[in-house]
Amino acid sequence: MKSFLSKYSLFLLLLFAVACKKNEPDSSGISEAKTQNSIRYAKGFEIYKYENFSIVKVSNPWPEANKTFTYVLHKKGVSLPDSLKNYTSLQVPVKSIVVTSTTHIPSLEMLGVENTLLGFPDTNLISSEKTRKLIDTGKVTEIGANQSLNTERLIDLDPDVLVGYSSGSDTKTYDNLQKSGLKVFFNGDWMEESPLGKAEWIKFFGALYGMDEKADLLFTEVETAYKEATELAKKAKTKPTVLSGAIYKEQWYMPRGNSWAASFLKDANAAYLWADSEGTGSLALSFETVMEKAENVDFWIGPAQFTTFKEMVESNPNYAHFKAFKDKNIYSFSSKKGKTGGILYYELASNRPDLILKDLIRILHPELLPDYELYIFEKLK
Amino acid sequence: MLVCLAVCFLLNISLGSVHIPVGDIASSLSGGQAGKNSWEIIIWNYRLPKAITAILVGMGLSISGLLMQTLFRNPLAGPYVLGLSSGASLGVAFIILGSGLLPSFLSVFFLSSYGIVLASCLGSLMVLLAVLVVSQRLRDTMAILIVGLMFGSFTSAIIGVLSYFSTAEELQKFTFWSLGSLGNLSWTNILILSVCCLIGLLLSALCIKPLNALLLGERYAKSLGINFKKTRLIIIIATSLLAGSITAFAGPIAFIGLAVPHISKMVFQTSSHYILFWGTLLFGAIILLVCDTVSQMPGNDFTLPINAITSIVGAPIVVWLLVRKRKFMI
Repeated sequence: MKSFLSKYSLFLLLLFAVACKKNEPDSSGISEAKTQNSIRYAKGFEIYKYENFSIVKVSNPWPEANKTFTYVLHKKGVSLPDSLKNYTSLQVPVKSIVVTSTTHIPSLEMLGVENTLLGFPDTNLISSEKTRKLIDTGKVTEIGANQSLNTERLIDLDPDVLVGYSSGSDTKTYDNLQKSGLKVFFNGDWMEESPLGKAEWIKFFGALYGMDEKADLLFTEVETAYKEATELAKKAKTKPTVLSGAIYKEQWYMPRGNSWAASFLKDANAAYLWADSEGTGSLALSFETVMEKAENVDFWIGPAQFTTFKEMVESNPNYAHFKAFKDKNIYSFSSKKGKTGGILYYELASNRPDLILKDLIRILHPELLPDYELYIFEKLK
Repeated sequence: MLVCLAVCFLLNISLGSVHIPVGDIASSLSGGQAGKNSWEIIIWNYRLPKAITAILVGMGLSISGLLMQTLFRNPLAGPYVLGLSSGASLGVAFIILGSGLLPSFLSVFFLSSYGIVLASCLGSLMVLLAVLVVSQRLRDTMAILIVGLMFGSFTSAIIGVLSYFSTAEELQKFTFWSLGSLGNLSWTNILILSVCCLIGLLLSALCIKPLNALLLGERYAKSLGINFKKTRLIIIIATSLLAGSITAFAGPIAFIGLAVPHISKMVFQTSSHYILFWGTLLFGAIILLVCDTVSQMPGNDFTLPINAITSIVGAPIVVWLLVRKRKFMI
């Protein structure tokens, strides 16, 4: 569902703020500290490392957030300077955690700390086998569905930290939990609009577990793999045209040119038909407009929830008029599901952009990755 | 009015978010070629089915509204207001969300277009019967209206409970169905819809004479030698067939059934069903075509939900009716 939410996202660029902070002593007056923001791609958070503590700033956890959340992470027994006492502080490494989005799960697993997970809202959405085992043995508690969290159960669980996400500025549930003494950290990974930016949020979790270096390393691996794949895609001799999205409530939702989904298509060396549209999020188009522009499209990537050709024509017989449909060149990310029906894409895609990109290259330029097997996407049946 | 209908029909086909020259549309409709292949597809597989659906839906809902208003002798009766549409939704909800509980050979049948139409018709029939039973006890206009409203909330509550217990896939299927649309019917579906509507409309046409007598009351109708029970049965079957099949294919559409009979009463200044029937039929088709054309916003990428448009037209009429209810004579 988050992909829907991200459609409404607007991005406040915080580069300026980042640039200002560089190489300047923090206002807290700790002069000898290393104060460089260690985040390179993500625009929604910053990490400043100091000797005994680090500061995490989350600036864009939901669309049009007008507030920056500052969190101070410190080791045991460290006394913090007075200037930082107003912020939420947390002793790291944390020993127990509750996360609220499936996109948080791969970060925990990659860092190898999934066994610290105490609770999750709607555990059925989790597909990863490692974490599913923990759920099946009752180590992960169900804490309600989506953003309606079960307050009582959460207070009872009493995790060291609750990593929340919110689709808007209405955070009453979290505010309540905070008043009850829980430490709530907002995570805005779903607002990131660049593939590597989303993936970089593993560093947010790295900081919570005092595993900054491991997180850096893991991210660098993904980054390298992604860049290599981008280079590989450049060697392609063809540039197939691509269509995306599907109709919902009479409107065809099509990722805009600078959106997360469109960035992948660009890096995979595809001619995405709406690549010129400005902005992030999605365009809402009428069927007629799409039909006229995309009738002869080569590939159709990500037709919303559809997983079979039959479902598509049943929902709207006019889907069958596109060339990609006739040639059976439609690939969906909704087919690969966990045991309990969670869609793998919504869990893994933000952490592993390299896998998405390789999948796309395999689909669009099969000659470049002849032996590669699709990991997340699947051809429609 | 026929001319007006034809003009609206052509207008509806020639306007849309993609600009297609009138010449191309004319040549494509008359069997020739449009300038581009994609235009051909847009005209034949999108705009034309949509226009035909709009006509069928407009006619069917308006007539079922007219029948109900006369049967209940209540100016506020209509398929949407009295909860028939929600009844149809409930029928479909039972089938889509409960398909896991049925034996597989049955669920295959019920999940096909025919099964959904059947369930939807049965659903609206049930609500209609329930409202009828209640209305025999309560003669008050407002009471029947409130009962309809209650049926609406009751069915949506049951759908809520059902959806809680169904899988994500079933739920998704149902959500997509319940959104409804005039624009995504295949030609086969249109054929089923036309057959249902045609039977419904024929049945109602048979009732024109008894309907006129009914206006003067049950007893008077009987004294004229009209078989009241038989007439009522035909009206009920026709209404639930129309409302059910239309809801099955186009989703719940608001206010057309209520507002159109009143509009034609205002225009023709008569209560004779010989005129009202045909007037309502044509007005229904014209108004829904116009609503659909408006919802497409020519040259724009916006497609407004058809329900929003029909409600904008219909809701003020309901208010107006309530305000001058005392003076109102049906």
